Amino acid sequence: MAGRGRGRGGSNLSLTHEQLQALGIARGDNTSQVLIPPPLFPKLEAKPLPLTSDAATDYMLIVKDLFIEYLHESPAYVKRKTKTDGIERYSDKYKMLALNAKNNKVLDCVWANMPVELRPQAKRTHVSTRKRKLVDQDAIAKRLQTLEKKENEDDTETVDSAENEKAVKSQEADDDEDIEDEHEEELEMDDGTDYANNYFDNGEDYDEEDDNLDDGPVY
Amino acid sequence: MSHQLGRVVSAILQRYFGDIVQQVGSDLFTYGSKPIGMIVKTSGLARPLVIDSLRTLLKFDLASFEPTANEAIADYKLIPDNVLLLIRYPRYLLQVKSKYGSEAELLVEELLQQATCTSSMLLVTIATKYKDDKEKNITILKLKDMFISLVTAGYIQQAPVAELKEGSEVPTLVPVATIVPDIEIRPLVQAMSTGDMSELKDNIYWRVNYDRFHLDFRDEIMIKAITRRIDENAGELMRFLLEQMYLKSPAWAAESSPLCALELRERCRGAAAERPLLHQYVDQYLKVLEENGGGFVRRIGDSGGGQLCVRPGLAARQIVLAALDHTVTERLGSKAARIFRLIRARKYIEEDDIQKNAMLVNKECKQLTYKLLEEHFISVQPMRKAASSGGLAKAVYLYHIKLHDVAQAAQEMCYRSLHNVLRRAAHTRAAHARLVDKMRRVRTIVHGMRLRGEPQQNIDDVEETLTPPELAVLQDVEKRLKQLSTAELELDRNLFLFKWHFMHPEK
Repeated sequence: MAGRGRGRGGSNLSLTHEQLQALGIARGDNTSQVLIPPPLFPKLEAKPLPLTSDAATDYMLIVKDLFIEYLHESPAYVKRKTKTDGIERYSDKYKMLALNAKNNKVLDCVWANMPVELRPQAKRTHVSTRKRKLVDQDAIAKRLQTLEKKENEDDTETVDSAENEKAVKSQEADDDEDIEDEHEEELEMDDGTDYANNYFDNGEDYDEEDDNLDDGPVY
Repeated sequence: MSHQLGRVVSAILQRYFGDIVQQVGSDLFTYGSKPIGMIVKTSGLARPLVIDSLRTLLKFDLASFEPTANEAIADYKLIPDNVLLLIRYPRYLLQVKSKYGSEAELLVEELLQQATCTSSMLLVTIATKYKDDKEKNITILKLKDMFISLVTAGYIQQAPVAELKEGSEVPTLVPVATIVPDIEIRPLVQAMSTGDMSELKDNIYWRVNYDRFHLDFRDEIMIKAITRRIDENAGELMRFLLEQMYLKSPAWAAESSPLCALELRERCRGAAAERPLLHQYVDQYLKVLEENGGGFVRRIGDSGGGQLCVRPGLAARQIVLAALDHTVTERLGSKAARIFRLIRARKYIEEDDIQKNAMLVNKECKQLTYKLLEEHFISVQPMRKAASSGGLAKAVYLYHIKLHDVAQAAQEMCYRSLHNVLRRAAHTRAAHARLVDKMRRVRTIVHGMRLRGEPQQNIDDVEETLTPPELAVLQDVEKRLKQLSTAELELDRNLFLFKWHFMHPEK
């Protein structure tokens, strides 16, 4: 009720007269409204203290610049491959030389401490070896042999009568595998996206934990 | 993890590692942790570039990673605190140089540049670099001794080792305890003479232990504070106390365990030759330190000649308060500082009482109080009284200082100005890049000519390609950049104070 009573007082101001006075604003004290935006670079009210400059500071400045320079020269400073604008220049030769010297370097890291995906050429070698496997006839023959051996070991009691048949079968199986290999390769190729990964959660195990807790309230 | 922190981290990455690492870094900062695929998508950079940037970030320990749910790829995460440390590198070098000399400086410098390195690689690289430098007289033997003493003192520690879990392609880094190594010198010398490093079978990696340096900084601040407050002998006494503290309590403890005054007297007797006065008046100095040392030291018992306790936590608080006082004085003037101190002394104070006690004109006093409130140096707590018979419900506004919040606000200010400084320097550098480049080229040419012993006339001709107005501009630019660079270092000093304070949360 009290709030309504105040509302009837008629003033639309957010603060009552008394409150304003309590804040130290008297009646005639209202400053004229400011219509222009404040300056972009207002004048500093206080001048900052001068910075210390002694031998230690100078030393630190030099060391800092050296460190930054080192980083800029090192492969840690990642740069885009520069595109030329199609106009040949005399200076291009030197620029390209300098760039090539830098580009060929790879950051010297402890690769064992890095995830596989960051190691240099980890993926590419992987793919290429697989490709070679597909083409290489010797490898296929070798594989067939090993498979044959395995089968023989697996069921030594079975008679070798249908050996030819088996060989044909394994050949077929291997062909299938090859196709699968190709598929796998494709999957691996677009590893960049997450589509290949199975993130789907069917929600079955959503409140598995709750079930156990629902035995009864604890008193 | 504030907006200001993000801006400053991004600016630092740009300064040190260039635009692309900056983009990847700020992408990681905004999104928390994510895998490469997502970084490529949101930052719009090519995958090889992202990989390169991540390598850089991981190498310098500016980011961490952990396997995702499917174990095949990793989630990356930026470590903003470590990015801020990049600015502190010169201070580490200064510290180690003044404490251990130039060999230690070379070691730490090389290690900071390599981020992690094996000891043999480190020693051989430095020794080869300074092989022809007769002035410094660096030998691999000296370097080795220095390396071992740095490891023993804890300035260099073993880097974490990768552990590969079964069926996972992402290693996890596990910190290992540092063991002081036993380095054989012969293979190193051999490697140096043949220039073939592949023979060296060394797989223990080392890195700089920032924390040890921070402890040094802390001790120095405390000793300096006491020295300035009392005198040099008291400062020395503080040093002895801190030495004892290291033996008995964890290094970053807010309060040390009880230290025995008797041992302290022993220590002073040992140093009697250098500081006779300290030895003579140990008890008096201790008394002064207790009563007038800002609470750095407290007596907690009288058994065994007195039990003392060093309180770095409280020291951090006191020093941060002093820093805040200083900030208020510099920003809003000494009158505002008076109000600030008054509020701190009274803990909770009403507005009327501020006016009565601050001895300022009413209006000015109010203005300054509101200004302090506006800049988050003080807070206000309204206390509603029950409606009195007069009808109007009166509220009492109690002004007070929340130290944690104020320190946070001040830290944000530091971040903001650090960002401004970096941006300004980058702008200046970009605006005058051509000129600076020209100057550098002229200098190298002149240097080459001097080496070849060409006549002075020709050298002067080359030097005159830089016109006087250009030289004037260059001088101006150099001066400004130096000033900005110094400001960075100073801001970092303040940031260290605040970080130290936040390390000891108030109970």
